[in-house]
Amino acid sequence: MAVLDIRDLSVSYSTPRGSLRALRNVSMTVPEGKIVGIVGESGCGKSTLISSIIRLMAPNAQVGSGEVRFKGTDLLARSEAEMRALRGTEISMVFQDPMQTHNPVLTVGQQMVDIQYRDKKPKAEKLKRAAEMLALVGIPDPEARLNQYPFEFSGGMRQRIAIAMALMARPALLIADEPTTALDATLEVQIIKRLKELQDEIGCGVLFISHHLGVIAELCDEVVVMYAGEVVESGTVRDVFHNPAHPYTAALLDCDPGHIKVKTRVLPTIPGNIPDLVNLPKGCIFADRCDKRHKACDTRPALWTARAGHRAACHLIAEKETA
Amino acid sequence: MLTYILRRLGLAALITILAVTLLFLIIHMIPGDPVSTMLGPKASPELRAALEARMGLDKPLPVQIGLFFANMLRGDLGMDVFTNRPVTTIVLGQIPYTLVLILSSILWSAVLGIALGCYSAVNRNSLGDRLAGVLSVSVIAVPAFVVSLYSLLIFAVKLQWFPAIGAGEPGAWGDQFHHLILPSLAIGLSWVGYIARLVRASMLEVMGEGHVRTARAFGLPERWITYRYALRLAILPTVTVIGVGMGFLLSAAVFTEIVFSRPGLGKLVIDSITTRNYPVVMGSVLFSTLIFVASTTLADIINAILDPRIRAGK
Amino acid sequence: MTDTAIVLPRARSELGEILYHLVRDPLGLAGLIIVVAIVGSALLAPWIAPYDPVAMNIPDRLQGPNAAHLLGTDQIGRDTFSRVIWGGRVALKVALPTIAGAIVFGLLLGMIAGYGPKWLDSLIVLLFDTLRSFPTVMFALAVVALVGPSLNTVIFVIMVTSIPTYGRVVRTLTQSIKQSEFITAELSLGATVPRIMGIHILPNVLGPLAVLAAMDIPTVVGLEAGLSFLGMGVKPPTPSWGVLLSDGYALIRNTPWLIIAGGIPLILTTLGFTFLGEALRDVVDPKLRGKGGK
Repeated sequence: MAVLDIRDLSVSYSTPRGSLRALRNVSMTVPEGKIVGIVGESGCGKSTLISSIIRLMAPNAQVGSGEVRFKGTDLLARSEAEMRALRGTEISMVFQDPMQTHNPVLTVGQQMVDIQYRDKKPKAEKLKRAAEMLALVGIPDPEARLNQYPFEFSGGMRQRIAIAMALMARPALLIADEPTTALDATLEVQIIKRLKELQDEIGCGVLFISHHLGVIAELCDEVVVMYAGEVVESGTVRDVFHNPAHPYTAALLDCDPGHIKVKTRVLPTIPGNIPDLVNLPKGCIFADRCDKRHKACDTRPALWTARAGHRAACHLIAEKETA
Repeated sequence: MLTYILRRLGLAALITILAVTLLFLIIHMIPGDPVSTMLGPKASPELRAALEARMGLDKPLPVQIGLFFANMLRGDLGMDVFTNRPVTTIVLGQIPYTLVLILSSILWSAVLGIALGCYSAVNRNSLGDRLAGVLSVSVIAVPAFVVSLYSLLIFAVKLQWFPAIGAGEPGAWGDQFHHLILPSLAIGLSWVGYIARLVRASMLEVMGEGHVRTARAFGLPERWITYRYALRLAILPTVTVIGVGMGFLLSAAVFTEIVFSRPGLGKLVIDSITTRNYPVVMGSVLFSTLIFVASTTLADIINAILDPRIRAGK
Repeated sequence: MTDTAIVLPRARSELGEILYHLVRDPLGLAGLIIVVAIVGSALLAPWIAPYDPVAMNIPDRLQGPNAAHLLGTDQIGRDTFSRVIWGGRVALKVALPTIAGAIVFGLLLGMIAGYGPKWLDSLIVLLFDTLRSFPTVMFALAVVALVGPSLNTVIFVIMVTSIPTYGRVVRTLTQSIKQSEFITAELSLGATVPRIMGIHILPNVLGPLAVLAAMDIPTVVGLEAGLSFLGMGVKPPTPSWGVLLSDGYALIRNTPWLIIAGGIPLILTTLGFTFLGEALRDVVDPKLRGKGGK
């Protein structure tokens, strides 16, 4: 069974210019114990998606339709109190900027004890558990470091602490929002490795957001490509990265510096900008920037199946089949 | 922590020395001199010379300053011209009245202001928030001595709920408290609004920071997040402002003491100016500067206790 | 308080635009109206005030508000309304030179501290901290004790103790602008320091200073009134709001009108300039929103 199953989710923000439709009919699943990556440029709706899952949305956000099923029940139908009971226990998060993640005036130990507030254990035991977790993510001398404040740790260390906190309650689902973007490359590799090991041990599902394709390829089992608030392609990492079915995915892969084999003076880019989400184009959302644009693109494509478990929202797939 | 406190105390000492020197220089530069102030313009040259010699004013300026510091360290600020009692004793006798007034004002206004600010930040844009906003601006708009006069007019003269004059019988706590209410209300009122606005603004800023989002993502109770995680940070600028605000409070206290004929530093200064009792004026000014420097220093130290980053000098 | 500000380079022709934004903000409009009314009536006092503010009229003494005397009269029959209007002149006479002087010195010292070498910076910051540590009223009283009550004493003392307020803001702004890339570019192109100060730093600092000055005017006006109330500022019979309050205080058991009339212009001044200052701040630098004040 899927630990997370998002069905047909639409979310919009009310803005002075009108309704900004940040997510439109998004569906995806995170199978139990699997790591699913989400790829997309900034503004593609990744952040809205995450905040909809843990229901910490901006006040001007409204869910238009859809369900966010966690272990079979719809999170969107839960009360705030029921929702809060899940956060940090069943669903945990690691955020992008490790320098902003922790409260600057409380010790790391205090913050790690605080998040265990539901357990009726003596404080000494909670501290012991916190130290165990820090050791697990590779922080040396954890007992002593519990007494230190966040500013006494480096960015990489802070992100390890964030991961330790997120996994402390052995959640069923971990959401990691660009956890390594703010770190340099060597740290990124170390942290990804450690995350993978811990995930293996705990067996949780992971939703891993990144715009770093190399990391996604390294870490994830499946990948979802988002563009301007829609899922444009999804499938196994192997299928999507080796045989991209959507022109946007193909363009993204072309732009990835790690992917470019030929020596070049100019890095490729995708021309144009993401469309205005208040005044959406009628047809395919990517048509304006697509180099394979043709007549059919004036209507919205459905998510077609390219091969088993690999789907993309592009008319070309249907046309290939009928041709 | 200790090194921070020591460093901060060193700075405070330096500022005190500079402030006193500067005060000395300014007084020396402006026209008018203590001797004619005390003796009046028609004093005989012999009398003037005698007083100048007694006060050390016949010596060169650097020596005067040096002597002044040497005397100050011994707690000797000269003698009252009339009673011949030490100025230090006279001033120290008045300071408790002023301190009680200032501290009680800051206490009630800080408690109320922080509560209002928190309420406004948590219930942003609600009716209560808007009301608190209007209320804050209105009370900020009234200068302390106008509040003193208005409250004297309404509550002491017209309604006669509170006494109009003095600080109450010594030793009678209830009576003293009764006398404290109106002056304290007058000084603290605008601070309620000021602190409320400050706390609201910094609370909103802190509540938007990443660590609050983290706390929410871990399902911590909202009340906990507000008071334990956010307020602790949002309070920092308020502590600094209160420390610096002691200067304004000291000024406000002067007016309020006069309006309510309440003993204290302010009344002492004004009385001494009218009687041309120059050493007492200088002594009071010196002590109020000391109180001010001490309160800003204390505010910084409290902030260092609340914020480990300041302690570490980051 | 107002230590975080990075202001973008802006053109000079924005005065009209600033005014436009001010008027669109209801609070700004209210502030502007109050300020214009106070300043206008003070400037036009000889034509607006119905009576000579110092003319005695014993038969009409201690009247309440009536058709002939809108705010009543004092113990020697002077018209309170006329005295309130003329009192605005005294307030302006103190506030303008005080704030102008504090801005000039603050600008100078702040720019030197922000741009100059580290040791000079530390020295000036120390000077600011020192000046700031005098409780203004106490300091003023010490000076008054020596030279006697006068308008100039009040101006001098308030100016000296206000310098740090402006200087600190100028210093922080100068520092942040100095580090910005366009300054580095200018320097590498051979621009001189005075040129950079005049062309880049000064215009960027003026906006925040204007905001600060607007917020500071009520404090200065309040201090003047307070010192005059104590008999340590403007000497009677000159009509100052503080003198009015002082007269009213002496007669508090006879008539409430003098105190009420003396306090209202002070409250209005504070309201007007605070509204104006806040609206101005939102226009000049949205980043400062919700900060600053006293």
